[in-house]
Amino acid sequence: MNLNDCHNFGDFRKLAKKKLPSPIFHYIDGAADDEITYARNTSAFDDVDLVPNVLRGVENVDLSTTIFGKKLDLPFYLAPTALQRLFHYDGERAVGKAAKKYNTMFGVSALATVSVEEISSMIDTPKMFQFYFHKDRGLNDACLERAKAAKFDVMALTVDTITGGNRERDLRTGFTSPPKLTLSSLFSFATKPMWGINYLTKGKFELPHLQDHVKEGTDTNTSIGNYFSTMLDQSMNWKDAEKLCSQWGGHFALKGIMSVDDAKRAVDIGCTGIMVSNHGGRQLDGSRAPFDQLAEIVDAVGDKLDVICEGGIHRGTHMLKALSLGAKACSGGRLYLYALAAGGQAGVERAIEKYKTELIRDMKLMGCTKISDLNRNNLRFR
Amino acid sequence: MNLDDCYNFHDFRKLAKKKLPAPIFHYIDGGSDDEVTLNRNTNAFNDCDLVPNILASVGEPDLSTTVFGKKIDMPLFLSPCAMQSLYTPEGDKASARAAEKHGTMYSMSTMASFSIEEVAEISNCPKLFQLYVHKDQSITDDLIDRCRAANFNGLCLTVDTLVAGNRERDHRTGFTTPPKLTLESLLSFAMRPEWVFKYLTNKKFELANIKNKTDKGTNIAKSVIDYINEQYDPAMNWKDAEYCIKRWNGPFALKGVMSVEDAKRAIDIGCTAIMISNHGGRQLDGSRSPFDQVKAISDAVGDKLEIILDGGVRRGTHVLKALAAGAKACSFGKMFLFSLGAGGQQGVERVLQNMHDEIRRNMILMGCKSLKELDNSKIIYKK
Repeated sequence: MNLNDCHNFGDFRKLAKKKLPSPIFHYIDGAADDEITYARNTSAFDDVDLVPNVLRGVENVDLSTTIFGKKLDLPFYLAPTALQRLFHYDGERAVGKAAKKYNTMFGVSALATVSVEEISSMIDTPKMFQFYFHKDRGLNDACLERAKAAKFDVMALTVDTITGGNRERDLRTGFTSPPKLTLSSLFSFATKPMWGINYLTKGKFELPHLQDHVKEGTDTNTSIGNYFSTMLDQSMNWKDAEKLCSQWGGHFALKGIMSVDDAKRAVDIGCTGIMVSNHGGRQLDGSRAPFDQLAEIVDAVGDKLDVICEGGIHRGTHMLKALSLGAKACSGGRLYLYALAAGGQAGVERAIEKYKTELIRDMKLMGCTKISDLNRNNLRFR
Repeated sequence: MNLDDCYNFHDFRKLAKKKLPAPIFHYIDGGSDDEVTLNRNTNAFNDCDLVPNILASVGEPDLSTTVFGKKIDMPLFLSPCAMQSLYTPEGDKASARAAEKHGTMYSMSTMASFSIEEVAEISNCPKLFQLYVHKDQSITDDLIDRCRAANFNGLCLTVDTLVAGNRERDHRTGFTTPPKLTLESLLSFAMRPEWVFKYLTNKKFELANIKNKTDKGTNIAKSVIDYINEQYDPAMNWKDAEYCIKRWNGPFALKGVMSVEDAKRAIDIGCTAIMISNHGGRQLDGSRSPFDQVKAISDAVGDKLEIILDGGVRRGTHVLKALAAGAKACSFGKMFLFSLGAGGQQGVERVLQNMHDEIRRNMILMGCKSLKELDNSKIIYKK
């Protein structure tokens, strides 16, 4: 199996599983507790059906949308995800270049393995910096200033990781950053020699946004859950968010909003967007799926800020359903991470191309030529 | 696989299955008839979603609540379960010690393998006694009086066991108390020499609370089912329950209430609590699951008595959902029994620690500082 055999989400996942040592694969693939929310994030889309309109003249389809004041050629973008160089040695460099090629937004995590400065010098297309609120205020300020200096367009504050989720696959595989070699995981690393060679020869693994401030960015073994639980400030509140919003002074989003009340408050403190997200089912299992909750939130605040549907998206039709409900755009992490692991920049580009092709085909079948044609008349809930 | 590899219900269950002879494992694991209700008890939680609030400045959430007049450190306690010595020689003592360590309540079954007095002596944790109304009233009276003397905090009267459920796994494995060695089960015992060795070298198996009152608790290979059918009074009615409440004169629950009407009646006769339960799906298969019913009952009587949800709880998020739907606390049986079978007192401590950590983590993720903040606004039922 190689990249040419990858036609959908499941194929990219399969190839990624072949290429990655198992602790790393399961870090991407796993979620919290019993992974019920993770599964629901995708299956929620199956509870609503698309209703096409015919005979509308659909030879030219325009997929562009505008979020955070930036026009994107696609109605979906690459959500910020941590530690990308663990998945492929090019990491954020590969993902960023693929985003640029398709002119969509590239989300860069605070836990990225390539610096905002380097990314900024590499791509001039829209960029989002994802921010965690640390106990160390100096670190917070430094992140903000660096992202601002690097001309990032959007700041997204993650609000659903106030403590680490219970990711039991990581407990079993011993996933830490950098990876801890346990006897049981050793075999898995040993049977994936290319990954090991690349990891060791393609430049030291680092967390450039954190390493001047904390030991977690360097050689110490620490789990992501541990990082969330020990480094992040659990007393973070609306005032802190409001302060960050004004300190940033540009487009600002809260990532991880699930309740209508919180969405309204996001408007009040000056956010220009929110990501309806449960962190890919990786935090609170049993919590509601973004798509299940989307309509309520769009009804309450859709005219005041950009609502992004994030999580569970595997298909162009999933995006069509979310956009029909009123989301301005969709985003996802696993959406491109398996593809990154499967084939670096070429993999991510192939994944984007596949979703784009699906979107164009599905828009035509729906009788729509532009994103604004999509509305709730296109949907029937079962 | 050992205790350190156990992170959730399935892990503890797996390890217990390895360690326990098959008839004993299946006695815990099984339900009645087709086990439809048993499965629904847990699946019901998946038809309801939690909706977190963010930026709530949670800090360290307070997980304590008060049940049966006692403050406990987390909203989850050990359900009363019979014959715990079958799972580890220390039986109820191991469970009670683990409960004390985690500041929660231990519950004793009428059919416990250690006596009221023995457990009271070794653990200071809050204690609930589970009562069956026996045909011989002097047995019932004696149990109530001894609980008072031993400073038990509450009493619960089981009302869903007038006749025993049809537990087909027990028919097949030949589960009796003490276990009957059939040819078929012999192999399963032989393959677990550690269990057999402990069973034979420790205190003789007995139903400690009732051994002086009936010969059924001792040597006769008698199935639990037969015991229930012979000793418990199927004519038990509301007056009998009221009688027990008066004689006890303290915090009192009916265990096994499922209808709103019965919940209202429980108030009238003086109950301070009810345990919404279908006996872990072991009695009437096809009956409603506690979580499916808790909101209706809470809406009707939640302000007048404590509601305990008993059944299907395997995760911290299950507890959160039950509380948001109106329960004051949850109790669980199967999950902690598996941990008891998997690792004795240490096993129960690990399961309580895991559940505590899950409840705490999920409270933080929900943006809740105290259990009071968990209300109807935090959940949405799927259609």
